[in-house]
Amino acid sequence: MIGFDAILMSFAAALHYESIAIILGGVLLGYIVGVIPGLNRAVAIAIAIPLTFYMSAYAAIAFLIGLSKGTAAGSAVSAILLNTPGEPSSAATCLDGYPMARSGRPRKALKVGLLASVIGDLLSTLLLIAVVIPFASVALKFGPYELAAILIFALVFIAGMAGGSFLKGLAAGGMGVILGTVGLDPETGAARLTFGYAELMEGVPILPLVIGTLALAEMFVQLDEYRRNKGASVIKLSKDKEDDLSYQEFKGTLPTIFKSTGIGAFVGALPGLGPSVGAFMAYGLAKRSAKDPDSFGKGNPNGIAAAEASDNAVIPASYIPLFGLGIPGSVSAALLVGAFMIHGIQVGPLMLRDHPEMLFTLFSGMIVASMLMLAVGWYGLRIFAKVTSVPPHIVIPVVIFLCLAGIQVQGYGTFGLVTVFAFALFGYFLKKFDYSFVTFLVAFIVTPMLEMNLRQSVILSGGDIAILLDRPIALAFVVFTVLMALHLGWSSYRQWLRKRLKAPSS
Amino acid sequence: MNFWSGLGVAAVAVLLLAWIVPTYGGRGFAVGMHPRTLATLGAWVMLVCASVLSLLSAIVLIRQRQPFFRLPEPGHLWHQTWPFLFVLGFIVLVDRFPLTWVAPFLIGSLLVILGERRWYVVVLTAVIPAAGLYGLTAHLMRIGVV
Amino acid sequence: MKMKLLGTAILSSAVAFGMAGMAQADEFPTKPLTMVVGFGAGGSTDIQARVLANVLEEELGQPVNVVNQPGAGGGVALARLANNRDEGYTFVFGTSMTITFGPLSSETDYELDDFRYVSGVTLGQSAIVTGEDRPFGDSWEELVEYARENPGVSYATQTALDRMIIEYIARQEGLELRIVPTSGGAGMAPLILSGDVDFGYSGGTHSGYADTGEMPVLMSLAEDRLVAFPDAPTLQEAGYDINAAEIRVVMVPKDVPDAHVERLAEALEAATQDERFIEITEERILMPVTYIPEDEVTQTLRDQVEGYKALIEELGGLPDEE
Repeated sequence: MIGFDAILMSFAAALHYESIAIILGGVLLGYIVGVIPGLNRAVAIAIAIPLTFYMSAYAAIAFLIGLSKGTAAGSAVSAILLNTPGEPSSAATCLDGYPMARSGRPRKALKVGLLASVIGDLLSTLLLIAVVIPFASVALKFGPYELAAILIFALVFIAGMAGGSFLKGLAAGGMGVILGTVGLDPETGAARLTFGYAELMEGVPILPLVIGTLALAEMFVQLDEYRRNKGASVIKLSKDKEDDLSYQEFKGTLPTIFKSTGIGAFVGALPGLGPSVGAFMAYGLAKRSAKDPDSFGKGNPNGIAAAEASDNAVIPASYIPLFGLGIPGSVSAALLVGAFMIHGIQVGPLMLRDHPEMLFTLFSGMIVASMLMLAVGWYGLRIFAKVTSVPPHIVIPVVIFLCLAGIQVQGYGTFGLVTVFAFALFGYFLKKFDYSFVTFLVAFIVTPMLEMNLRQSVILSGGDIAILLDRPIALAFVVFTVLMALHLGWSSYRQWLRKRLKAPSS
Repeated sequence: MNFWSGLGVAAVAVLLLAWIVPTYGGRGFAVGMHPRTLATLGAWVMLVCASVLSLLSAIVLIRQRQPFFRLPEPGHLWHQTWPFLFVLGFIVLVDRFPLTWVAPFLIGSLLVILGERRWYVVVLTAVIPAAGLYGLTAHLMRIGVV
Repeated sequence: MKMKLLGTAILSSAVAFGMAGMAQADEFPTKPLTMVVGFGAGGSTDIQARVLANVLEEELGQPVNVVNQPGAGGGVALARLANNRDEGYTFVFGTSMTITFGPLSSETDYELDDFRYVSGVTLGQSAIVTGEDRPFGDSWEELVEYARENPGVSYATQTALDRMIIEYIARQEGLELRIVPTSGGAGMAPLILSGDVDFGYSGGTHSGYADTGEMPVLMSLAEDRLVAFPDAPTLQEAGYDINAAEIRVVMVPKDVPDAHVERLAEALEAATQDERFIEITEERILMPVTYIPEDEVTQTLRDQVEGYKALIEELGGLPDEE
């Protein structure tokens, strides 16, 4: 085991001005790329990889850590201000962030998001340091049975919290399921709903889908509104107290932040679930346990806090299976594997034995990166919040351009352009007729994972359901799911009764 | 509104169930689940929910004696459609020429349509994002002009 | 119609440009080149491609830009390359499986003869792997023995190719296997490490566990035994007449002029002797670097396609074929 001195040394190394400068460079690059709608982590990675060839192993890794934290924080900014999540996992942030920004409190929304993401990230990093070695193997207890049970639980849980009409939410979920099955069947390899397009073989690409349904569709809605009342819908950074985050309000969101960090860390530690599932689950829990669930989706700071804390907590937690077992649990973990590989370090359980100093330098670098993210975000907020005072007739054309640029830069070509337009139409109708985007997106993201795990379970067990008795964790989640569904049915029945009693003659 | 959207979604679901999923949903023998199982399930969920939705809203409409049809005025319809046609037109252009060269026209013309008349605002807003894209793709990512 | 005319006009002007380029073919390349990678940024193919591009840049005297076009296991990039008329300024760095087995297992817009294979650069290290403390240990023969006695031994597949190979083996040996689909190395590793699945296919993930011994190799799917696991037999040594060796190749459309292909091949040959490229590939990605000239690599690929076709026939067609 590594000595305490060595750990202190590694922190000293991370606090060296050169390391800070490199991490800051990563955070800044990630933040800028993340803030621009349409550009996301993949673009930042493409810029960064050639740069890291010329850096030392430590510098390259510190740079990439800064980068992935920066994109996470940056994509929340465009999610809140323009309803355009840079990463699909920031889609949950849009739900309350964008309404809040539009109701004249963009600065408050940005501050809640930033603080929640830094706290979630930091706590999760500390958790990583505390448990990475002893507890990594616990993740292996979560095999296909357990993951399938958790995903079904998540689906039911999130379906229950969809705003607006329950029926419309379910119908949108059905659309998400259908789109989620597009691509090669994982078992037989048969092409499903691809209509002969090679581009669809690995499923509908998520980036054009999210950019189309959220960002481009929103611009069409805005164009429509702009024509009706010119200049009325400008988001202005008001100078009054209403648009700043008071300490009281911040304290009010803390319980949500802690709970959501817990969910994010749990989801992140299991290989294969990812930040979108974590963010939406945390959002669902916050809404469910709130006293005023109706205010969610209309600009509740707890909604932003839940989504951001969980989204950011997933990433450090996804390094638990990476360093403990050598299994990358997320895109950013896979990216780190690549960076380590270039510099001749094999990521995995052996790292602690062969390169312990590297591991602890990495951890300290992560903490420094969190701090820098707070600083960059805090000052960035002042600049970026001004974006919203630009009149809409200038913002709309530029955002439309950025949506198209995001597709072109990432090499989707003609197919991507057509997809993004088709989903813009689709998203426009979802908005106009008030169908839930959340259930649609969650169903779309969860379906492929669920299908894979479900199939694995069915094949491995030979279709024998009694296997659940050998897998207590899976069994527990199945029971939770049934209870949850019963509870949902019961509470909506009671709500319906109450409504009938209140308004008997309408 | 609910009545018609429910009807529309139900119609799409019927189309999916009757034709698209059976034809393009994939075939083959699978030990666990048939390739089409989940898609069929999703389509059924859509169908049931949407039919119930239009049924319920139809009842409400009949009870409140509201008309089922409310035709939008043609001018309104045009205002809702032109942004789509505009963007679609530019997508066709972007497919043929690099976005970097098309972008200034895309941004500039939309600005003028939206009523911006100060020439320097139009020029700057049109050129700066395109220049940024050029810098990003040609120099930072080094993938050439897109 | 107008669109079509416009398209023709652009095409013909492009051809005119191309002709101008031909006139000074010996000067190739006169402008920046594009290396297309059919996988996402950050993976092992991508990292290798970027190092290769850096080296090629020095050899060719022109910038070589790396572009990622992920999708369909590299198939999207190839479908686009097949329609490219760039005279060799655009080329794909990819794996042989996309071009040999891809057109057989699914409908594609390209086939083997649509491209020229400038050269092979590295050899893949795919293998059939297992976990620690299995009842059959880590020898292929014992596994076959064990699986014959215990029907329902599970296998984790990642690609249509390895699924076909294992189905062929199962038929040869009279095994009854449960074949579980997984997505990539990150999906396979937890199943193997936890013991939920008995054995499986690995593209290169096992190299990461070479020192810990947590993921022993049962059989090499490459032409030779694996560098890091010299004890495991190859497919041929174990008695199966299949050549499934993965080769990473550089491909251009078939109508690229000879002079351009030769110039690229020269640069690639030099690159395979470049220390930086060898170091990254052999010591870090753990794949042997070898320069395989155009004729040889094309012949190997052609043989592989024939072999796969015979295999498919023997198995009675692929499951999704009507």
